[in-house]
Amino acid sequence: MANRVVITGMGWVTPLGHDIEQVWQRLLRAESGIAPITLFDARTFPTTFAAEVKDYQLPAALRQSGMHQEISRATGFALAAATQAWEQAGLPAPRTPGHARLDPYSIGMYLGSGEGSLDFGTFTEVTLGAWDQSAGTVATGSWAKSAMRRFNAMREIEQEPCMPLTHLSLEFNARGPAMNCLTACAASTQALGEATQIIRRGDAEIMISGGAHSMIHPFGVTGFNRLTALSTMNDDPRRSCRPFDATRAGFVLGEGAGILILESLEHAVRRNATILAEIVGYGSSADAYRVTDQHPEGRGAVVAIEEALRDAALSVDDIDYINAHGTGTKENDSTETLAIKHVFGPRAKSVPISSIKSMMGHLIAAAGAVEAITCVLAIRDQVLPPTANYCVPDPECDLDYVPNEARKAKVNVAMSNSFGFGGQNDTLIVRRFAD
Amino acid sequence: MRRVVITGLGAVSPHGIRFSDLWQGLLAGRSSIAALAQFDPSGFPSQVAGTVPAFKTTDYVPKSYRKATKIMARDIELAVVAADGAVRDARLATRGIVEASGGSVPGPDWHAVDPRRVGCNIGAGLICADLNELCQAMAQAKNSDGTLSLARWGKSEDPSKTSGMDNLTPLWLLKYLPNMLACHVSIIHDTQGPSNTITCEQASAGLALAEACRTIQRGQADVALVGGCESMIHPMGLMRWSLLGRVNNTANPAGACRPYDRRAAGTVVAEGGAVLVIEELEHAQKRNAHIYCEIAGLAAASSGRKLGEPDPTGESAAFAIAKAMRDAGITSAEVQAIVPPGSSVPTYDQSDVAAISRVFGKAAEVVLAPARGGVGDCSAGSQAIDLAAAAMALHEQKLWPAADSDQPLADVRMLATQQPMSLQNVLVFASSLAGQHSAVMLRKWQ
Repeated sequence: MANRVVITGMGWVTPLGHDIEQVWQRLLRAESGIAPITLFDARTFPTTFAAEVKDYQLPAALRQSGMHQEISRATGFALAAATQAWEQAGLPAPRTPGHARLDPYSIGMYLGSGEGSLDFGTFTEVTLGAWDQSAGTVATGSWAKSAMRRFNAMREIEQEPCMPLTHLSLEFNARGPAMNCLTACAASTQALGEATQIIRRGDAEIMISGGAHSMIHPFGVTGFNRLTALSTMNDDPRRSCRPFDATRAGFVLGEGAGILILESLEHAVRRNATILAEIVGYGSSADAYRVTDQHPEGRGAVVAIEEALRDAALSVDDIDYINAHGTGTKENDSTETLAIKHVFGPRAKSVPISSIKSMMGHLIAAAGAVEAITCVLAIRDQVLPPTANYCVPDPECDLDYVPNEARKAKVNVAMSNSFGFGGQNDTLIVRRFAD
Repeated sequence: MRRVVITGLGAVSPHGIRFSDLWQGLLAGRSSIAALAQFDPSGFPSQVAGTVPAFKTTDYVPKSYRKATKIMARDIELAVVAADGAVRDARLATRGIVEASGGSVPGPDWHAVDPRRVGCNIGAGLICADLNELCQAMAQAKNSDGTLSLARWGKSEDPSKTSGMDNLTPLWLLKYLPNMLACHVSIIHDTQGPSNTITCEQASAGLALAEACRTIQRGQADVALVGGCESMIHPMGLMRWSLLGRVNNTANPAGACRPYDRRAAGTVVAEGGAVLVIEELEHAQKRNAHIYCEIAGLAAASSGRKLGEPDPTGESAAFAIAKAMRDAGITSAEVQAIVPPGSSVPTYDQSDVAAISRVFGKAAEVVLAPARGGVGDCSAGSQAIDLAAAAMALHEQKLWPAADSDQPLADVRMLATQQPMSLQNVLVFASSLAGQHSAVMLRKWQ
């Protein structure tokens, strides 16, 4: 019999703030974390705004530990979110005697974290300095000489997508199974699902799981602008992300981290932990369709949702709330709606669905983790966060998207969907904990 | 519990673009490390590389997919070629194979599979953007002082001209997302089951194989394409490893990479990787598939240490190795050979030997067969090569030598020439630069 998996701690660093309660209240008030970009001068970019994490500093204890210098923005977010989650879980703080008594090999990690941002100034100067206009190539011989002088070794290697994992391993002395997956926008939902499997089969008792990412840098915004995936509503950033609305015209780049502490039920009970919710279902699939588009009928999304329901041994009638992927692009929201209708049948009309990306933007690899946390809070407080900026109904999106205002509701079971570029689909189901 | 076996091998390595090239190169103890030729390396202290011989990606995809090869970074191309080799070796009549053979199953021993029951889990790394492609766009927005004008990168002052960023192809970003290795492979071969991209450097492929194997054991898939591919032969990649002091600063390819040798002086950047077909035992038997070996034990761990500072005591790697043995239900006396991650970086090599000694008493009790001496380190592709080679070793009951490592570290036993060996269990373990470990126990199929 597989171990049951419960959530005992949560933390996040988001464009709406850096602690669980404050951000949650702001989501319920439909506040927006979207504003003009300050991290670099984006005034002439097709998109000039994003959902940035503001006024952020790595917590003092982490700064002073001497272990986390030169870290990427994403790694900092992951460390801060994990510290909150660890504290909420009531686990002994790192560098205390209680912490030293934990079995490091029983603590694993599974993150869906993105790469760190490029050292933009150094990269562009070094590369332009070696540009041979007549040949149309970079003269790598001179590039190398200047690069070897100017790049910082640690700053460079910290961009590896596994570095948040390495820093969490250091900070919490977590020596159990450690993985990072980078499946685009589905990454941290997938990480939570696979972390659940690791505890179920007994390979770890505690998993630190979730994700962290920041793509709000010149080449990140460039990449998404070239794909014409971003909203370009530069005159009204707060209304720029309009999931399921007929006038939706792209997603908004966000950044941040969400980290959850998962535990085997037995371990949580043995140490008298407060259980926040249980992870009961996980489904994963690939569209195998196109790298640029989702399958038009949401074929892979349907499979992920169905597999998660089967894994949870629940029916569509048991689902009280769906936290949508809901990016605010034309394609995603109609395809996701189709997939939900396909699986839920007549029940689709009565399941409330909302997208918090309307308020905090799209945290890319970290999106699934903050959305899983949102599901747990919805279950705790019996209230659904709204889809902000929903004004004009779209005949292709004709379900209940909890428009603009939070709603009191009975929520025992919540589902979270995440779909990534390239056709990755992942669905997670969390349930109110009951013995 | 459902048992899982390996039924297909595909590898793209400096020894060649087929698995058989890799295998023959390993057995011969040949080195395919040569002068770095993809770009002028004269400004780098290390000027050698393990380069994959020339190939055309379009030869490995069905006609309808040729256009998509334009948006494949080198790492993606390697994965597409390796997957083609693995799927053909396993005689799986996937969508891509059927289309490439004119719409029909290529032969009587080929089998169609239910796409929803096939997963894809291919490890990948941080893919560097092509410098020339990016810089031709940047050059359009260059300031007189040599910096990039963000203003003109975003929008040209002259409305008749394009902005800097407009010089990049619209799909530019998609060339460089790590999950595009698995995505292109899943599209070509129509694998609709669980798909993932693990990005843990040198440990990626073992972790990917392990995760896909668990998926099959749980019954969520019957078949999976697993492995990893990466190219470190890029000015950014070489710069990063050079600054870390990880590469051998030499222009002489002879003996440039000597895992577990007293003269080891750093590794060599390489490109390549492998894809393996793993399959539920009964599924494989029902279609009469050729079975290379069984996947008997899996484990993972993390070092809890800083990057670049591998544990001299090898404790966390030893934990993973011992756990993989327990998972396989065997003791250290039942393991005849180890394919270790040795990359010829002295501190990492010593940590590996310490880990092996913790579990096996003395490392010399068991034969080490490092695979990187002749090919170099292709990061996320490395352990995939190790796994594919180990599977073949179990099948052929033969082990390859570590030809250039003829002055081994104390307590290390390696072969000088290939040898027939009675192999029951072979351990493949890897440690990433950043401290993640994966351990896979492979067992002879009988």
